[in-house]
Order: sequence, then structure tokens, then C-alpha cells
Amino acid sequence: MSRQGRKMRKLPRALRFYVAASTFYAALVFFAVQYIYTVQLAESGLIVARRDTGDVLASIQLVSFVVWLGISLIAAAIMHRLATALAGARSAEEQKQNELGSIFGLSAALAGPLELEEIARHFLTAVRNALDPSATVVLIVYDDVLEAFRTVAAEGPGMEKLRGQTYSAGGLAAAIRTRVIDHRQPFLVPDTGANAKTWTKVAQEMPQVAHARSFAALPLVSRDRLVGALVLLSDQPGTLIADRLQMPMIMGQYVAGSIHSALTVSEAEARAEREALVNRVAQRGRASLDPDEILRGTVDALGRVLGVSRAIVASGESEDDLNVSYEWDAPGVTPVGRGARSIPVAQFAARLGRTVVVTDIRQDRRFAEGSTDDSRQRGVIAVAATPIRVGGQLKGALALSQIDRPRDWSAGDVRLIEAVADELRVAITSAEAFEQQRRAVAELERLNRAKSDFVSIVSHEFRTPLTGIQGFSEMMTNEELTLDEMREYAGDINKDAQRLNRMINEMLDLDKMESGRMQLHHEPVDLNEITVESADRVRPNAPKHPVTLRLDPALGRVMGDRDKLTQVLANLLNNAVKYSPDGGEIVVSTRVEGTAAHLLVRDHGMGIPKEALETIFERYGRVESRATRNIRGTGLGLPIVRQIVQLHGGTVWAESAVGEGSVFHVTLPLAAKTELAGVAGAEPPRMS
Amino acid sequence: VSKVVFCEDDPMIRKLVQTAMRTTTHEVHFAGDGAEGLALIDRIRPDVVFSDVAMPKMDGFAMADAVRAKPELAHIPIVFMTASVQRERIDECFRHGAAGHLAKPFTMTELRARVAQFAKS
Repeated sequence: MSRQGRKMRKLPRALRFYVAASTFYAALVFFAVQYIYTVQLAESGLIVARRDTGDVLASIQLVSFVVWLGISLIAAAIMHRLATALAGARSAEEQKQNELGSIFGLSAALAGPLELEEIARHFLTAVRNALDPSATVVLIVYDDVLEAFRTVAAEGPGMEKLRGQTYSAGGLAAAIRTRVIDHRQPFLVPDTGANAKTWTKVAQEMPQVAHARSFAALPLVSRDRLVGALVLLSDQPGTLIADRLQMPMIMGQYVAGSIHSALTVSEAEARAEREALVNRVAQRGRASLDPDEILRGTVDALGRVLGVSRAIVASGESEDDLNVSYEWDAPGVTPVGRGARSIPVAQFAARLGRTVVVTDIRQDRRFAEGSTDDSRQRGVIAVAATPIRVGGQLKGALALSQIDRPRDWSAGDVRLIEAVADELRVAITSAEAFEQQRRAVAELERLNRAKSDFVSIVSHEFRTPLTGIQGFSEMMTNEELTLDEMREYAGDINKDAQRLNRMINEMLDLDKMESGRMQLHHEPVDLNEITVESADRVRPNAPKHPVTLRLDPALGRVMGDRDKLTQVLANLLNNAVKYSPDGGEIVVSTRVEGTAAHLLVRDHGMGIPKEALETIFERYGRVESRATRNIRGTGLGLPIVRQIVQLHGGTVWAESAVGEGSVFHVTLPLAAKTELAGVAGAEPPRMS
Repeated sequence: VSKVVFCEDDPMIRKLVQTAMRTTTHEVHFAGDGAEGLALIDRIRPDVVFSDVAMPKMDGFAMADAVRAKPELAHIPIVFMTASVQRERIDECFRHGAAGHLAKPFTMTELRARVAQFAKS
């Protein structure tokens, strides 16, 4: 009844008026006939038996009324049908015109833009207009750079879920892949409930579309190339049937060409961008010698061009040594932090010495072990890593990672990563070379300074004896002198000449020792004995310095060069005297310590600042201060001591307190019995 | 008679100067370090002082400063004898009020000429 009512209400108003009018007309005719029969006939005197004639008349009237009504109704129905058919024909015509219009509109709209997004917008709007506004339409295109299907646009209910999605070949449902991608045929599931078997699999493989009740995927082919697919979803079962998809398919053919051109342009742009990146990296590498700056400029650009989540440069000279030295993170990606070490793919690449790509680390057997726990925690799924080697030596690795989704790294990606790594290698090499050069220059400068310091020190020291030699010889030449005076001055000249000679010998000795050209004469030496001799020699020149000896009689002997060891003692004693200008006791002691002889020279002089305790043993490492300025020295005494002691396998060090004095320690290995016996047999010890 | 003070820690140079000055009429006094030199200058009031720089106890510069600090001595010219040929070292001499500079090794002629220059004849 309600259904009928709805239909009635749907009748055109003219038709309803027509039915009402004909009903009214039939009623009018009925009453007119009644009147004529009953009133007019009676007036004219014709009496008809009321009962009989009345009944007959009434029946005739009734029948005629019913017939009339029936005819009216039939006419109404026919006219309604006619009207409906007419209207239908008109609307079909209109729709066809609409569809044609939208196709033409679409093709007109597509004539202009080459922007993929704009094409997609026009296309999807046209499809939804032609189809059903309740349907969701998604355009995915094959992106050569990503080597995956990328969602360009999605419109309709639930589009948020589908926007921005990327599907690698493996990310699409197998059924869609086979039918749409491989065979370029439409894939239709008009009622996902009715095709549960097919649909369950699709829904599992592509959870993004699982909610659809009616589903279709149409290939978009242009010039034999599959440029993408149109995916349609509806929550009304049976909506997406072959008949209704005619229009979208026709539109798809139009649009595929435009998409193809747009993709070609964007691919060319992407290629250009990649080439530009490599050029930039190369330029930067040449222009900058600061490795950090090179990293900043290139790794960031690489990360952006590849659209990865994170780009890492690790440095290290071995696989286990690799740690993050630079990283770039896409917005919203948590950094791993400098120095981080859990970079299994980079380490693997370093071990293999070549690029390693991982599409999905969760399914990669090479990284199935526990080592990937960290990277899993960080959500890293896809990684591409390549080692950076300089001259066969590992210097680091470049790693790019994708978070939250697998990624099939294309050959282009790998080429780009390797090109950047190569440029980084060049940049790092030149930066390193520069740094080495800089260090070498700094070292040369330091040496040069040391040399000129030395020259000035030495020339200063040499000039004092030279003044005597020159002055006395000048007087001997120019002045009337007695023979005794002559002899005396000649003796003075000789003394100064010897002094000069000693200085030169010291320098040459140190040079020889430092360059390893010093030949030591090895023999058993009694340290106590040479200590006594050296003390005796220094005493006449140090009237204010009582020299006390505390010698261990059980010291034994050391194997060494007697003259050189004497020089050690002489230098230490001379220093003790020189650096205690106000006098003070000097104590020399010896003792046995295990297999070594320990010699100590203690003074009560000015002492040595803590920071200089090491440097005093370096060439010209003399402490320069107001206090020492007046103390003559070539700065070679202690370096000579150290060289001699080290050549004997011993050690030397100093301890001191400024203002209280210093203690110089020398240890020398004691000669073993067998050693002494062997030497005694071959060459008798030279005893003084 | 002019009085000259020589401050020099090296005995050989002291002897050399003494020998060289023997033939002159000047009265020459010697000190082995700055402190000794200062005392000598104060006592003798020489016409000119020749001093080494690097000496124990008190160096030549400190001695020169001490001399300048005493008004009664401040006028006495001091000539430094240094073994250095470095410009900075020589400049330092003049910053300490040196009247002249004599570079070691010096000739006897040079030494005598320098003494004559400052000594009253």
C-alpha cells in the first residue's frame, strides 16, 4: 500500500488533475442521466413504472459509470507510462550528455596541467560525479624513483586512511597485483561479503581497504605502460559493478596519458635533482675542506632526495668501531644520537665491503639475530648502507633508513647512495690530506721556531767563549806583550776553545743519540765509582754546595758505556749546582731495587714547576723564567741524560717542589752474573 | 781619571776586559753579578757602566732598573754587552735605559772606543 502510495504521489500533477477531472465528469454525467430519466420523462407525461424502469436505468447508469471510470483510469495509466517513458528517455539522454560532458570536461581540464596532483583532482572528481558520491576513489601511480605505487590522491569517505600510502610491489594484494598490474585487467569485487574467499585475502594483504563492501581496481595504461591504477571502494554492496564502471574506465584511458606525461616530467625532474645532488656533493667536496661541512651539505640533501626517514654517516676504521658521527632525520623522526653503535646494516656493509640493501629487516634472515633489537626499537624497517673506504682502508659508512614501512631500494637509489659515498670519500680524503698538510706545516713551524730558538741559544752560548778567543788573540796580535803574557793568553784562548768544543760535542752527541747513530761501548761499570769521580770533579766549582754521597756498597755493576754514564752524572751534578744559585747540600745516593740500580741526585735549589717536569727532558726544553734566565745552559744537558739512560735500557724522571729543590731519579738495569762472566772472559773490564 | 764599572759573570771575559783596559788611563772596577755591581756603582759613582745581561742573582736589567731608581745614580750611562743579535733583545736593553749596546764577541778596539765615548778624558 505504501509502495503504491509512493508511486501515486510520484504521479505528475497534470495526471492527477486529469484523473480527478474525469471522475468529476463521470459523476456529472451520472446525475444528468438520472435527472433526465426521472424528472424530464415524468414531466413529459411518460410514466415509467418507477420500480422496474428505475432499476434498469440505475443498472445502466452504474455500468456506464464504471466503464467510464475504467476507461479514464486506463487512459491515465497509459498517459502516465508515456510520460514516464518520455521523462526517462530525456534523462538518459541528459546523463549521456552529462557523461560525455564530463569526459570532455575532463579531457579539457587535462589539456592544461602537468601537475600530477591536479590531474588526479580533476580525474577523481569526474569519476565520483559519474559514479556515486558515496564511493571512495583513490589514484595510485607507479613512481619510478620509489619503485613503488604511490597514492597521489584519495577522495570520498574514509580517504584519510588511504592518503599518502605507498605500496611496493609486495605491498599490494596478490590478486590485485596479478590481475591489474600483470594482466592490466580490472579487478572487481562487487560484494565483498559474497566473495568472502577472495576478499579475506585481499583485506589481509591490504588492510587499508579492508572496510570496503564493494571494491574495484582499474588499471591505467598509457602507451603500453602501466602508469597506475584507480581504486574504488564503496560501503554499499553491489555498487561497483562492471556496467557502472564503464565511465570510470573510459575516463581512465583519457587520464592515463596525462598521468604518463606528468610522471615522465616528474621522473626527469627527480633524475635532474639526483644529478644535481651528486654535482652539489662533488662541488662541496672540492670547495670545502671541513669534513663536517661536507656532511651537513650532502647527507641532508641525500636524505631529502631519497625521501628516507634518516641518513647516517658512521665513522670508524673497523666494522666494530663504526659509530654514528653525523645524522640527518626527517621531521618527526627521533635521532639515534652521535656515537650510537648499533648500526648492524652499516656494519654488515663494512664487513662485506659493498652496498647492502634491506627491504624489510623483520623478514631479513641476515639480521634475524638479536643484534637488530635496537634498530627494531627505533622502528627501522628498511635500510641501505654502503661503506666509505679510502685507499682500501675503511673510514666509515653511509646508511639510509626507512622507518615504519618496508622499502624496495631501487637500482637508482643504490647508484645515488654509492655516488654520494664516493664523493664523501673524495671529500674526506682531501680534507684529511689537508689536515695532514696543516699538521705537517704546524709541526714544521714548531720545528723551525725550535730551531731558531736553538740557534739563538747556541749562538749566545758560543759567543761567550768566542769573545775570549777573539779578544785575547787580538791583543796578542796588536800589542806588545811579554812572552809570559803571550803564554798566559794563549792558555786562555785554549780554554775557551775547549769550552766551545765541548758545547759542539754535546750537540753532536745528542744528535747522534737521537738519530740512533750513537755506538755505545758496553762494559761492566761501577756506578758508585763514577759517582765518586764525578762528585770530586764538581766540588772545586761549587764551594757553596756540599756534595754528600750515600752509596749502597752492594750495588753491583751495570752494563754500559762508562764515559756516557759519567756524562749523565756530570750533567745531573752540574744542574744541581747551577739551579741552586744560593748553594745548598747536594745528595747523591745509590741503591738496589730489584734488578735495577737506582741513582738519585737531590738538590735544594729553585725547583721545577710541575708542568715542566716532562718537558725539561726535551731538547731546548729548559724552563725559561726570570729565575733561570741568568743560568747559562744550552738546554741540552737533560735531553742528553735521557738519551744515554734510555740507550742503556733505563729510565729517568724528576720530582720537584718549586723553591724547595729537585730530585732526579735514574734507574739502570743491573748486569746479570752470566753477562759479567761472559764479558770478563772475552774482554777484561776496564777499571780505572 | 774616569771610572768605569764592568759587570760580568764570565771570569774569562772579565780577565779579557781587564787586560784590554790596562793600556788606558781609566780606573776599571769589576763585579761578578748584578747585586755586586749595584753595590759597586753606589760606592764608586762611575762615569759609565758596562754590564752583561745574563748574570746570577741579579741580572743586568734589574741592576739597571735599580740604578735608575736611585736619583743620585740615575744619570750614569749603562752600556749592555750581550751575546744576542736578536732585535728584540737589543731593544729590551734600550727599554731599560741603556746608553748603548756592545755585541759579543767584540774587538778590543771596539771596547776601548766605547769606553772612551762615555768616559771623561
